[in-house]
Amino acid sequence: MAGIKPATPASKPEEYKNVFVYLETRDDRLLRPALEMIGVGKKIAEKVNEKLYCILLGGNIRDQAKEAVSYGCDVVLGAESPALATYRTLPYSHIIADFVKEEKPNIFLIPATRNGRDLASRIAVRCEAGVTADCTEIDVEQDTRILLANRPTYGESMLAEILCKRHRPQMATARPGIFPVPEKVKSAKGEIRIREISPDKAILKKEILEYRKKNVVDLTAAKVVVSGGMGLGKPDGFKLIQELADELGGVVGASRPAVDMGWISRDHQVGQTGQTVRPRLYVAVGISGKIQHIMGMKNSETILSINTDPNAEIFKYSDYVIVDDLYKAVPALIQEVRKYKSEKQVAPTEPS
Amino acid sequence: MVLEIIVMVKQVPDSQEVVIDPVTMNLNRSLTRNVTNRADENALEAALRLKDSVGANVTVVSMGPPQAETTMIECLARGADRAILASDRFFGGADTYPTGLTLAATISKIGKFDIIIAGEETSDSSTGHVGPGVAEFLDIDQVTYTSKVEYKDGYVIAERELEDGTEVVKVPTPVLVTVLLNSNVPRRQTLRRKIDAIRKGFEVWDHDRIGLQPEWVGVRGSPTIVRRMRPIKERERAAKKIELSAVGDLVKELYEKNVLKLEVDS
Ligand SMILES: Cc1cc2nc3c(=O)[nH]c(=O)nc-3n(C[C@H](O)[C@H](O)[C@H](O)COP(=O)(O)OP(=O)(O)OC[C@H]3O[C@@H](n4cnc5c(N)ncnc54)[C@H](O)[C@@H]3O)c2cc1C
Ligand SMILES: Nc1ncnc2c1ncn2[C@@H]1O[C@H](COP(=O)(O)O)[C@@H](O)[C@H]1O
Repeated sequence: MAGIKPATPASKPEEYKNVFVYLETRDDRLLRPALEMIGVGKKIAEKVNEKLYCILLGGNIRDQAKEAVSYGCDVVLGAESPALATYRTLPYSHIIADFVKEEKPNIFLIPATRNGRDLASRIAVRCEAGVTADCTEIDVEQDTRILLANRPTYGESMLAEILCKRHRPQMATARPGIFPVPEKVKSAKGEIRIREISPDKAILKKEILEYRKKNVVDLTAAKVVVSGGMGLGKPDGFKLIQELADELGGVVGASRPAVDMGWISRDHQVGQTGQTVRPRLYVAVGISGKIQHIMGMKNSETILSINTDPNAEIFKYSDYVIVDDLYKAVPALIQEVRKYKSEKQVAPTEPS
Repeated sequence: MVLEIIVMVKQVPDSQEVVIDPVTMNLNRSLTRNVTNRADENALEAALRLKDSVGANVTVVSMGPPQAETTMIECLARGADRAILASDRFFGGADTYPTGLTLAATISKIGKFDIIIAGEETSDSSTGHVGPGVAEFLDIDQVTYTSKVEYKDGYVIAERELEDGTEVVKVPTPVLVTVLLNSNVPRRQTLRRKIDAIRKGFEVWDHDRIGLQPEWVGVRGSPTIVRRMRPIKERERAAKKIELSAVGDLVKELYEKNVLKLEVDS
C-alpha cells in the first residue's frame, strides 16, 4: 500500500460510483462539520443519481448511524471497536482506505477540520487519489461526473477550480462553517452496515494519554460576535470585549495572535485556522484585518470595526468604522447600548 | 546515539505582497519577494530545541526552485547541521501528491531518521496535506497540529491542538510531527553562523540523484489540475465613519435596522 510510488490513474473510472463522506465524531458524537458533509454530499449524489455513503468509525456508533440516516444518508458504512473510540491516524486511514477499495466511490468528501486534514491526505496517498484541500464550493458535472472542487487561493482573492480527471476517488476536504447543515428528512430510510473490527496491534501504538476538552464556544451559530485582537494590548482587554458581547447578547471571538498570546482560549479564534462565522453583527476591536482573519468573518451581515489606524485594512470590509482608541470606543458603545435598552425598558439579554 | 531529525521547509511568496498578473491570473513571481514559510520556522525551532535538550542531527529538506537557496542558508544559520534542496525542472507544478512523494523519496535517500518535523501548513497552498502525505509514503505514524513536542526513550510525547481541546499523545519513533504556527519563538541567525553556513553550503539533489522518474513528479505526477481561476468578488461595504460623539446614533440605527434585537433570539 504505502511505499514511494506515483499515483496511477484509475483504469476504469466509469466503474467508480457513489459519494462517500467522512463523519467526524468526538466521544462518539457527530460533529457539526459531519452534518455539513452530509448536506453537500447528498446534493452531489442526487445530481448524478447516486447514493450517499457515510463513513463512520468509533467505539459505539449505532445511534450516530441512525442520526446520519435521518439527515439523508443512504448507506452508513461503519467500523466499530473499542480501539476506534478516539480518532487515530493509522487505524482510521487503513480501515477507510479498505472501504474505498471495496466500494470504489467516485467522490469522497472530508471536512477540512484538523483531524479531517490529518486523515484525508493519508487516504489520498494510500488510494493514489487526487485531493483538493479546503474547498468552499463543491459541485459535480452531471454528464462526466467530474467533481468541481473550488478553493480560495492567493490570499482569498481568487477562487481556483480544481479537477481530478483520471484518478479515483476524486477527493476534497471542505472548509467547516461554509456548507449548511441539512434539514432532517421525514421518514428517512437508509441502510446501516456496521462491522466489528479488531485492528492490527501494529497500527495501534499511538497512545492518547489525555484529552483536555475546552469549553467550546460555538461561534458559528452566534448572531452577534465581538472579537478582540492585538490592539487590546493586554489579556485584560478581553474583559471589556466580554462585557460588550454580554450587553449585545453575543459571544467573544479573537484574532489568532491574541489566542497565541494566551489572552483567550483557542476556541474563540476566528479565521482561516479558527472558526468561520456569519453573524448578523460582527464587531472587530483592535484587529488589523489581515486576510487570514478576514476569511473567517467577511460574510457577516453587518461589520463594525474599531481601530486607531485610519488606514486599517479591516475598514475595507466594514459597514461602520470607529477610528479611535478602543478603550474609549468600547465603553462608549456599552454605555449607549445600556442607555438604549433602559429607554426601551427591557431586561438584559442572555447570550444567544 | 543522537536523534536524526529531518525538517521540511518551504520557501513561499511573502504573503504581505502577493502580486497577481491580471492577464494570466497567476502569481507574478518576479514582483513577489520570497521568505521561509513561517510555520516551518517553528518546525525548525522545535527540532533545534530537541537538539539542545537530547542531542540530534538536524537536516533540512526542501523541494523548490534554485532561489530557495536563501532559505537553506537561513536554516543552516539558525543551527541546522545539513540542508538538502530537491530541485529540478521536472519538480515544477506539483500538487500535494508528487510534493509528498518527492520529499519522502529524498528523506529515504538520506537514510535513517527518527523524527520528521513539518509546519502545520504553507501560506501559499495552505493544505496541511504534504506532511501527512510524506508520512503515508514512508509508512510511519504522525502527530499533527502540535503546540509542544518532547522526546524520551524512543517516544515522542506531544500536545495536539484540536478545535475543542488538547490531545496529549505518546507515539514511538519514527514519526512525523507537524508544528503549529507561533508555537515557539524561532531563534535568530547569528552573523557568525551565517558565515559558517555560507562556507558549509547546502546540497542540491535532482530527480536522478533522488531516484525518481521524471513522469512521477511535478505537474505530470499530479492527479489534480487547476481548470480555471476567477476573482472572488467581495460585497462593497460603506465603511461609514462614526465619531465617538455619534455612537448613540449608531446604536439606535443598529437596533432600528434589526442588526441588533432587544429580544433574545437564536
Ligand atoms: C497560516 C496562517 C494562519 C492564520 N490563521 C489566522 C486565523 O485563523 N485568524 C487570525 O485572526 N489570524 C490568523 N493568522 C494571522 C494573521 O496573518 C494576522 O497576523 C492576524 O490576524 C493579526 O491579528 P490582529 O489583527 O489581532 O493583530 P495586528 O495585525 O497586530 O493588529 C492590531 C490592530 O490593532 C490596532 N490597535 C492598536 N491599538 C489600538 C487601540 N488602542 N484601539 C484600537 N485599535 C488599536 C492597530 O492599529 C492594528 O490594526 C494566520 C496566519 C498564518 C500565516
Ligand atoms: N516544497 C516543499 N518543500 C519542503 N517542505 C514542504 C514543501 N511543501 C510543503 N512542505 C511541508 O509541508 C507542510 C505543509 O504544507 P502544505 O501541505 O503545502 O500546507 C509545510 O509547512 C512544510 O513543512
